[in-house]
Amino acid sequence: MEFLTVVYLVYIFIALYFLSLFALIYIQNKKNLFSQKEITNEYSLDVVIPCYNKEKNISKTIQFLLDSDYPYLKKIFVVDDCSTDNSWSIIKKFARENSRVIALQTPKNTGKASGAKNYGAKFANSDLIGFVDADSYPQKDAIRKMIGFFDDEKIVAVTPTILVEKKEKFIEKLQSIEYKIIAFTRKLLGCVDAIYVTPGPLAIYKKKIFDELGGFDETNLTEDIEITWHFISKGYKVGMSTLSRVYTIAPDNFKEWFNQRVRWNVGGIQTINKYKKTFFRKGMLGRFVLPFFVLSWFLGVFGLSVLFYRTFQKIIIRYLSTAYSIQAQTVILTLREINLTPNVLIFFGTALFILSLSFTMLALSYSRDGGSKKSGLFGILIYMFIYLLLYPVLLVTSMYKFLRGKRSW
Amino acid sequence: MFKNKKNVFWQALILTGVIFIFGLVLGMAFESSRLSKINEYYAIAEISLMDILALNSMIGLDDANCSILFNSNIEFADKIYEEALLLEKYEESGKMSDSIKLAHRKYDLLRTFLWINTIKLKEKCQQNFSVIVYLYEYDPEELTKKATQIVWSRILFQLKQEKGNEIILIPIAINSDIESLDSLIEKYEFSDFPKIIIDNEYIISELSSIGEIKKHLN
Repeated sequence: MEFLTVVYLVYIFIALYFLSLFALIYIQNKKNLFSQKEITNEYSLDVVIPCYNKEKNISKTIQFLLDSDYPYLKKIFVVDDCSTDNSWSIIKKFARENSRVIALQTPKNTGKASGAKNYGAKFANSDLIGFVDADSYPQKDAIRKMIGFFDDEKIVAVTPTILVEKKEKFIEKLQSIEYKIIAFTRKLLGCVDAIYVTPGPLAIYKKKIFDELGGFDETNLTEDIEITWHFISKGYKVGMSTLSRVYTIAPDNFKEWFNQRVRWNVGGIQTINKYKKTFFRKGMLGRFVLPFFVLSWFLGVFGLSVLFYRTFQKIIIRYLSTAYSIQAQTVILTLREINLTPNVLIFFGTALFILSLSFTMLALSYSRDGGSKKSGLFGILIYMFIYLLLYPVLLVTSMYKFLRGKRSW
Repeated sequence: MFKNKKNVFWQALILTGVIFIFGLVLGMAFESSRLSKINEYYAIAEISLMDILALNSMIGLDDANCSILFNSNIEFADKIYEEALLLEKYEESGKMSDSIKLAHRKYDLLRTFLWINTIKLKEKCQQNFSVIVYLYEYDPEELTKKATQIVWSRILFQLKQEKGNEIILIPIAINSDIESLDSLIEKYEFSDFPKIIIDNEYIISELSSIGEIKKHLN
């Protein structure tokens, strides 16, 4: 058997494994995916909103939080990280008009969301602490539906379903599909205590534990991944409330999207590096989350190299044979050269495609937003065949930037 | 709790293993059915070759016998050329086993027999036909050689379409480890491939157009 065939079969096996894993988790937990924990304790909650140059969104974010139906939401600390736009004036205006809104400003620009978050957290004095990005809008019932999860002593963090707010441009539509699939898989991972991130649009933590662990790691570009790994490395659990929804603004152009993803991935590498000693140890972090991250990195980078090698080889042969055919005045392609003879890799590939498509459709049906239309098949196919294929490129770029010492936003 | 949850990882592994093995077995069965088909073709081709050899060994060939022998050779050559194209497709898509490559070697041996036979035929009969032997490297590593062989195959395919029964086209892979073939091409002292030998007389090492072959044909 050729080396490349073995490589393809290994990839197929791994892809089949994860599809089977998600399918089994889904089947075994189908009834509990939308379960909601009733509130039995009156947990007080303070929320911190880090803000840097968000004059267009900050009012809406504050207003959505003020409209929250969770009765024990005490204070909303809006931390301006020395914005250069009009954000600070807007925050102060809100603070003047509403006693629950506290306007704070960092002594100097911290350069990272984690800096402003930690600064705001110092002022909070509640059972729970929430963090909301300045361009994210938690729905009225989002927080209330998350709180019941904290009755489980082991659960110290809860994350909601995060969806894309604007879906006008094609890139936003693709991200909308991605966010829905992520929300679905995160819920499934939650069923096996393997949630690996509590994203910035809304995350609520037990304040005591948050303080004990020293808050966010300000040296990390993805503090939301790092703090989640910190929690699970200490044996705590993370819950997910599927019914809680938060809408967030996603990048609306390729450059912004690419930079955001590179930043996420550089943060991912930093986190892997920090927790590398837990590999195959320390519960779900060492036995699943960390190996899963490392494996995806390895498979992404190696797969991209194989793809490049094969494509490059084919292009060279095609170029040479075409140039020669033109010179020799013969046909540049014959029908017999188009080989459509099926083989085991094509069978497996087709089966994987059908299974992945079914999984995607299932995920989308579970996370359908109230107001939006169904995601079109065209969008889903572009997402599967183009959008996801960009990931290995992102991984390589991120690795390069990480090695070059990129540590800031 | 952790142990119960952990079970799903093992269950997924077992399920994947079952699906994967089932897929592999199915793939192997599929490829082996194609190999059976090729083997069947090969058995028939072998009978045809034996028949030709028997005809060839007949003493006192007259014009009538020559014509029969010529037609048998043409028919046989065309048949194994068609089968070579099919075999090429199966080889490209064959992923699970190397048995199909063994079939290729067997066919190369048949084609070597055919080449030897056509040499004798040319000597015995005055038939108006040309024998084109295309010697190429099987699965070369060099990309330029790969591209060259692709173009030469195209040109020869085009020539066969044009000339039909006027030519006997015999493509043979030189690295099939066949002793008779090695000794047959030894006398030409080739240092590299591909090469085209027309009527055991003209050798083409650089091919710039189909016309270059045509001008040596009978």
